[in-house]
Parts: sequence; structure tokens; C-alpha cells
Amino acid sequence: MISSIRPYRSRLDALSERATDEVVAGAIGALSVVAFGALFLALPTYSVFPVVTFALAAAYGWYRNQGATAKSLTFLATASTVIILGLIVVYLLWKSLLVFRIMGLDLFRLASPFWETSKRTFALTPMIWGTVVTTLIATCVAGPLGIAGAIFIAEMAPPRARGVVKPAVEMLAGIPSIVYGFIGFNVVNPAMSDYLGLVSLGSLFAVGLVIGVMALPTVVSVAEDAVTAVPDEMTDGALALGTTDWQSIKSVVIPASFSGLSAAVLLGIGRAVGETMAATVMLGHNQALPDPLYDVFANTETLTTLIASQYGNAITRDDFMSALFAAGVVLFVTVLCLSLLSRYIEARMQSTLGGST
Amino acid sequence: MSASHASSATIEDDRSGVARSAATTAVGLSVLTMLLAVANVLNWITTDASVASVALSTLYGVALAVAGVVTVAVGLLSASAVIDANANDTSGVLSGLPVGLLALSVVGLVASQTLGYGVAIWAPAALVCAVAAFLFGSLAREDLTATLPWGGFALFVAAVLLAGVITPSWTWDPRHLGVALTGTITVPCLAFAASLATAWAAAKATQGFGARGRQAGAYLLIGANALFMLSLLVLLVAFVVEKGAGHALRGIHLGPGLSVHVPFVMNGAGLGYDIDGVFPAIVGTFWLVFGALVFAVPLGVGAAVFLAEYAERGRFTTVVDIATDGLWSTPSIVYGLFGYAFILPRLSPGGRPNVLAGMLVLGFMLIPLVLITSREAIDSVPDAYRDASVALGVGRWETIRSVVLPAAVPGVITGIILGVGRIAGETAPIILVAAGGLNADPIRVIHGFRFTSSPPFVANDALLSATNALPYQVYAVIETGVGGSESFGWASAFVLLLVVLCFYAVGIATRMYFQRKLER
Repeated sequence: MISSIRPYRSRLDALSERATDEVVAGAIGALSVVAFGALFLALPTYSVFPVVTFALAAAYGWYRNQGATAKSLTFLATASTVIILGLIVVYLLWKSLLVFRIMGLDLFRLASPFWETSKRTFALTPMIWGTVVTTLIATCVAGPLGIAGAIFIAEMAPPRARGVVKPAVEMLAGIPSIVYGFIGFNVVNPAMSDYLGLVSLGSLFAVGLVIGVMALPTVVSVAEDAVTAVPDEMTDGALALGTTDWQSIKSVVIPASFSGLSAAVLLGIGRAVGETMAATVMLGHNQALPDPLYDVFANTETLTTLIASQYGNAITRDDFMSALFAAGVVLFVTVLCLSLLSRYIEARMQSTLGGST
Repeated sequence: MSASHASSATIEDDRSGVARSAATTAVGLSVLTMLLAVANVLNWITTDASVASVALSTLYGVALAVAGVVTVAVGLLSASAVIDANANDTSGVLSGLPVGLLALSVVGLVASQTLGYGVAIWAPAALVCAVAAFLFGSLAREDLTATLPWGGFALFVAAVLLAGVITPSWTWDPRHLGVALTGTITVPCLAFAASLATAWAAAKATQGFGARGRQAGAYLLIGANALFMLSLLVLLVAFVVEKGAGHALRGIHLGPGLSVHVPFVMNGAGLGYDIDGVFPAIVGTFWLVFGALVFAVPLGVGAAVFLAEYAERGRFTTVVDIATDGLWSTPSIVYGLFGYAFILPRLSPGGRPNVLAGMLVLGFMLIPLVLITSREAIDSVPDAYRDASVALGVGRWETIRSVVLPAAVPGVITGIILGVGRIAGETAPIILVAAGGLNADPIRVIHGFRFTSSPPFVANDALLSATNALPYQVYAVIETGVGGSESFGWASAFVLLLVVLCFYAVGIATRMYFQRKLER
């Protein structure tokens, strides 16, 4: 470490001392990045050239001035996250343009016909309704149970039990959704038709239940963080006034962590909206609204399962594929809004509970 | 507080003691009934079975009747000041709401479905009863509102079950809904709801109502919920292990030498193998994850370094934060669509699914996971480290490289492991960009490289061909029946679960280890 110590130089000195060759190397690197972007979009096989020049420029810069090169490279990495998100937005919109041109606002029309691919009718209403229903059911499962579980872990469980339960819950959050789907397909669906005499295998209700259970560990884990973040001084104050533990939880902890808890539930909702595999294997893929609308035991489609199940049929047709991209746009916008909302709520929580980090 | 004379105080204490132990018994009985009902729903006991030559629904009925009677009795005794209690004089809206909802659903269902009245009669009747129940629940003494409705509900359910109104062979077709509710599920569900209600009410009674009673009730509910949730999740894992482990470990044998041969894990699928295995899928998942790591870790960690060490808080960092959040929350199927539209046509002619595209798409998904955890790890390195280094005259990048990053490495690695656990189980994007049927042999990436004379000068047919992957294997078993029987699917799910949970276990364990080290 001692060998790597260099004399301190102010930023201004460094700039004036920066040699021409460093500036040139930086310029070549930057140009390579731009060229790579352009070539990858237009002539991907030729994008190997800017990759090589970029590598050379970076290597030279690393050799001449490690600090500046490192800063530029890390900046590039940071910018890439924004670029990737931008590319996702652009490509989703661009690919869904065709169906917007065919359908216009009828994409969300409220009367049938909704989905007749042979007649180029692609209305997403049934799928949006399916997503709304499954998400509502999942939230009813994951929200209350998850928050109660978080309060148990954070406030009631003895410390030793907490040390086991918290990591266990986090681990369970990692069970892949296809495994839930496999269980749902082989166990929940048959059980539903046994108990409830369903005509068809698969229902929004069953899917909602499975997704709710799937989102449960995530909600618990995030909500637990929110509950733990409530400073002890606040509960101590309540307890000193002679409240019971439950009274202090109910009147101090829950209100103080309310925004964190809602952020946790929003996260769960986001996961439920975007959940694909479990719903895909459990549902019967019937692109029509349930009749009557509130029949949660019906077999319709959600936005995600539409993409996953119809992709094979759509691959040869531009308009069909474009409709799937439109479903992707709706999903993306919904989830992005949820994430922004939970970000806003969390920021507000920080300012409420701030000063006691 | 009920007033008591000094002379009668001891008698009252005795009575209170008896009442409280009766309430405790009712709690125990209710909890047992709940467990029985759960076992019944899970089909460990069938609804028409009998326990010790008593039919199950009779058993529910008797247990609920006893619990209900005890609950109601304790409530009445407490209200008439026979036993000592700390009940409040009124209960409040929060206690009234569930009572009102209970009345609404019970009266509504009974009047419309059992008695068969039309909407014009059952709707107003249910509404009037609900309002009355709500007023009672909010305004009456707490010991009454906490016990009477819930004990009464249990007695009602007990009567319904004992009188044989709802039997295991009973069915109900609600109009407009495509279901026929059978007695096999209705009986345990009713029993569960009623015993939950008496457990809650009796738990309050054990502490003599009031603040401590409410605490006992709430703790019972929350504790039961936590227990239920954990056992459900553990049960899920155990179920997959039970269903899949047998098939996955079939034909396992030692040797030659110290090696172990697990046919299901080490075989391909096809005619040449005695036991079809998932080795190609494992290799596929390995390469997908490896490629995603190579692509995403430098970008994620680099961005984390820039954001934590170089960037000034401002508009740029806000944009990056929003982008990171957006990438983090974007559904995996949308990544799949993006990969299909953006990457596939640029990598292979005709836009066929291929491994490289899968690597890139999974890499896109991994970037935000790595970025967020790495940034947290770098942020949590104490500023004292940086100050000490800078005080020695070390430059900024030197400080980052030789002080900050080494200190943050555990956190960064934990984040990477957890991220890998998440993307290894991803199915949706793989279906769109990387998977194509089940191949009999694993892809050979390392041997696939060769040089060409035209740009890009390096080619690898293995990277540009479709592959199988563990999660895709499970999906394929369901969707097409390809790859064998249901037991093959369970075994694949078991191997996938094992792989993913191992990543998570290692990741969480390392994090806890280093957290403890930091706290010390």
C-alpha cells in the first residue's frame, strides 16, 4: 500500500498537468463508445472495431493516469443503467406503435369484441382486468399477513427466534416463481376443482392465492425493515406512560412506520403485477372478460401470461407481436409508477423519522 | 374497574381465577380446532373421516359449542361484575366494525341462500342487523362486545354443523359464479373461522379484558399468523423435496473410486441414457448465469463506485436512482420482450433464440441488483477509513482501490450471490430469448470458439444456439409434457430449488457473518 501513495495534487493542478496523450486517449475512448452505440444499432457485426479501440484507449489511460480513467469508466457504467432503461422504453414503444395505429384508444375498449387475432382486433381490456383481479387477491393475502408477520418478527419474537426467522423468510423470498407454478399446476389447480367444482382447470382466484403467497416473504422482509427502523426512543416514551406493548405497537410503531409498511405492500403489488410464470402455467389462457365481471373463478388472461403464452403464435405476425409489446408497455408503466410511488413514500418516511439514524 | 368490597374480594378473586382458567381452556380448545381445520383443508384428514369414532364435523361442532359457551359465559359474568375485570365501558369504532361485518355476512348469507328470500328482503335485513351490531359493538361494554358476537358466532356454526345443515356432502352453487362450493371445504373453513373468533375472544378474557386483554388477543392472532405463514412456506419447500428428491436421487451410486454418480443430475436426456437427466439444463443455466455475471458485475460495481464515491448529489444521481429503481422493478417478461426486439435480431440472422442473448438479458436484470447492494456496501464503509487514507496523502482513486473497495468486498459479494440466486430461477425472459426445446447434450461453449476472416472475427456457434435451462425444463414439463413424466418435473423443480436456495443461503450467511464482525 505504501508504494502506491502519491503526492496530493489539487484538481486544478492535475488538469493543467494532464498531458495531451491522456486527453487524446480519453477522446478516442469516448468516440469509441459513441461509435459502438451507432454501429450496434445499425451494423452489429462491425461493432467489434469500436470495442477494440475502446479497450486500447482504456488500457493506455489506465497505464498513464489510473485515477482519471477509473473515474471515466465508472461514470460510463453509471450512464449505462440510464441508457439501458432508455433503450427498453424506446424499443417497447417503437414495437407497439403498430398496434396503437391499428387500434388507437380501442386498445382499451370496454365492449367486445376484445381479442380476435384473425380480425386484427387486439383490445387489452380482459388482460388488464385479469391482472387487476389477481393483483387484488394477491394483495389481500400478502398485505395483511405480511405486515402482521413483520410486526411479529420485529416486535414480538424473542431475539434468538428473530435471528432464525428473518433469514429464513429472506431465503423463502428466493423460491423461483416457476416452482410455485409447478406446485400450483399440480396441486392447487386440482384441489380447487375438487373443492369448488370448477369446470375448467385454473382460475384467477387460484392464481391470486399463489401469487399472494409468493409475494409474502418479500412483503414481510421489507415491512420488517420499516418496523425496525422506528427509533426505540419513540416506543420507550409510550411504555414509560404505562401503555402495554400492544398499545405502543398499535399507536406508536404502526403509525410511525406507516409509510414504510405501505412501501412494502406496494413492492408486493409490483411483484404480483409482474409475476409471469406461476400465472402462465396455471391459467387456461382465455382472452375474454369473465362473465359476470366479478367471477373470480373464471379463466381469463393477465398481461404477463398473454405475452408468455401467445409469443409462439405471434412470432410470424407483426401486428400480433406488436399487441404483445403493447401489453409490455402497460406492464412497464404500471410497475414504474408503483416503484416511483414507493420511492416517494420512502423519501417521506426518511424525512419524518430523520435525525435518528 | 368493577368495585368490590373488602370482604367479598377473596371470593371474587377465586371466581375470577376459575373464569380465567376456563377462558384459557377455551383458547386451547379453539387453537386445537384451528389446527384440525388446517389439517383438514390440506387433506391430511378428510372431512367425512371420523376421529375416535366421532365424525369430524360433530367434533368441530362440540368443540365450538364448548368454546362458544365458555366465551359467552365469561363475558356475561364479567359484565355483571361477578368476576373481576378491567373492561372499558365502551368499546370504540374499531371493535364495532368487525362485529358489524360479521352480522352483515351471516344475516345476508342465511337470509338470501338458506331461507331463499329475494334481494328486497335480505338486503335491508342484513343492513339493519349490521348497523345494530355495529352500534352494539362500538357502544356496549368491552367485555360484552369482545365475547358475545364471537361466542355467538361459534355457537351458531356449532348448531349448523351439529344439526347437519352443512354436511360434507352439502353443495352450494352461488348464482353467477362458476363454482359449486362443497361441504368438504366449507366445513373446515367455517370451523376455522369460528375457532379463530373464539380463540381471539377467549384470549382477551384470560387477561380480564382491558388493555392487557387486547394485547393477549392481538398477540394470539399475530403469533398464529406468523406460525401459519412460516409453516406454509416451510411446507412448500418440504413438499417439493418430498416429491422430487426420490426421483432426483434414483440410481445414485458410488465409484469408481471416490466419485459419486447421480444419474438425474449428470445424465443428458435421450435414448443413450438409462435414466433421463437434467445435465444439459444445468450446464445451460451455468453458462447463462456466468455470462450475466461477466457482463453485469463490472457495470454494476463500477456504477456503485461512481455513485458512492465520485458523484455529487444532483439531478444526474436522481435520474440514475430512478433508472435503477425502474430496472429493478421491471417485470422479467418485459426484459424478455426487450431482448427479443433489441438483441436477438442483432446477434443471429433471423432472430433465433440463443445463449448469448439470454446472458445479456439476464445481465440487464442483474445490474440493478448488484448496483443497489454494492452501493449500500460502499456507503457503509466508515468515512474514518477514507479520512485516514487521505490524511496520508493518498489520492482519491488510490483510496477507493486500496481502502474502500477491500472493506466493501463482503457486501458486494453478498449482493452478487443473492442476485445470481434470483436470475438463476428466472424463466420468462429465457423462454423468449434463449430457450429452444430440450437438447440431449449440454452446449459446449469453450470448444465453440473459432476465428473468422470477416468481422467480428470471432465466432461461437454454441453461444448462438438455443439452450435448455433448469427453470425452462420445469416449464417445458408442464407446458408440453416434453422431457418426461410429472415425477421428472418434480425432480427438476427440486434441483432448481436446491440450486437457488443454496445461493440464497450462502449469500445470507455471508452477510450475517460480516454484519456480526462489523458490530463487534
